[in-house]
Amino acid sequence: MFDRSRRVRLLLIVLIVVSLAIITIDYRSKGHSPFERIGHVALTILSPIQHGLVTIFRPVGNFFAGFTEVPSLRARVSALQRLNAELRAGQNTITDIERENASLRALLGLRDRYNLNTLPAQVIGVSPSNFERTVFIDRGSRAGVRKDMPVIAGDGLVGRVIRVGPTTSEILLLIDRTSAVASRIAPSGQTGLLEGDGSDVPRLEMFNPDARVGVGDRVVTSGYDKGLYPPGIPIGTVVSAPPAQSNLSRVVKIQPYVDFSSLDYVLLVIGQSAPAPTPTATRTASP
Amino acid sequence: MIWKRSLLLFLLTITGLSFETSVLGRATLVGTKPELLLLMVVALAMGEGPAFGATAGFVMGLSTDLVLQLPAGVSALTFTLIGYVVGRVRAQVQTRSAWLPMAMVSIATFVGVLFYAGFNEILGEHFSGLSVLRAAGLSAAYNGLLTPFVFPIVRALGARLRPPSPEVLN
Repeated sequence: MFDRSRRVRLLLIVLIVVSLAIITIDYRSKGHSPFERIGHVALTILSPIQHGLVTIFRPVGNFFAGFTEVPSLRARVSALQRLNAELRAGQNTITDIERENASLRALLGLRDRYNLNTLPAQVIGVSPSNFERTVFIDRGSRAGVRKDMPVIAGDGLVGRVIRVGPTTSEILLLIDRTSAVASRIAPSGQTGLLEGDGSDVPRLEMFNPDARVGVGDRVVTSGYDKGLYPPGIPIGTVVSAPPAQSNLSRVVKIQPYVDFSSLDYVLLVIGQSAPAPTPTATRTASP
Repeated sequence: MIWKRSLLLFLLTITGLSFETSVLGRATLVGTKPELLLLMVVALAMGEGPAFGATAGFVMGLSTDLVLQLPAGVSALTFTLIGYVVGRVRAQVQTRSAWLPMAMVSIATFVGVLFYAGFNEILGEHFSGLSVLRAAGLSAAYNGLLTPFVFPIVRALGARLRPPSPEVLN
């Protein structure tokens, strides 16, 4: 009995030591971790199963997603009703018609408007962690996917590619707490840094604390991230714009256009000009 | 028999991880995902004891780490400790209540998520306290709800491949 107990404790100690060794190795080799390569293998093994499960269970998953998120859906419905009322109230003014026109053109024709060369991909999985907002897609390096490629959906910016395997890739959503996107308030042209905080409503820190920002203002990419994101891609609207807390910065909250909980298909932006399409890169219209 | 148990562990890990990253990742409870692999670890630890619980925890935790961007090894450490502690506690608890698995799974998930977030904080990853508590509470509740569906299957598979020795619960 004593030996058995001792063996179990010894096993526990060995497993703890190995875990701590893995943590140390990974921590010290940020960006070049050997576990990242093993992770690619794991994702490659998982991707066909994920693909199959997503195809079979998507209706079930969507049903439960709707069922369990009734409170957030209610809030969304009332927000949409409010937006609808606002649009109806101002529909006769030329400014509103112009803005609506611009908004619809931006939402429905992102690719054509910005001459984006894109590669379509299907979302086949999401991060299992509650502390990470990433999704997995069914395209990898073999299809021409590269790290840091911007990713959009029909409604606007989704995020960027952070990990590329041969047949799968991982996308960091703009609402992840490690995401940062140089952004611009469309009406005023004022710029800021959009930072995710893990919630569905990221924060935009304005570079100018006196910037004129109002609830309902559209937010787009500014294109300042060393060319990472093309300028003018819609991100979302300002939902909360409290006054500056200090003379140094002003933080406003943004409701992204993209519904990250129901992402099915995305477009990876290969380039902004329109060069001759490669065999793997097809131009597809935004949904 | 060892290879059969290893195969079981491998298959459970692949299945659990696939469901966790596809179906359950979308079917969230107020925006929170369940911790399916942690639920499996608790089920195996309660049926097979602390040694197999810790081993299953290490394997499933490390597999989870490989698909995350957060520091590798933290899930492995968390799941190992949870597997060991649950196996030890189960050996001391005499009740056969049907609520015991749900309670054990929920408590283990709550503590596991808090430990995981706390250890990541030490490594420089910052989460807001409220989001951690929310994730811990809701994933514990979600795992509790999944227990009647997942627990019996995992436990039956573990028992089927149990070595013919009375020592497994120690």
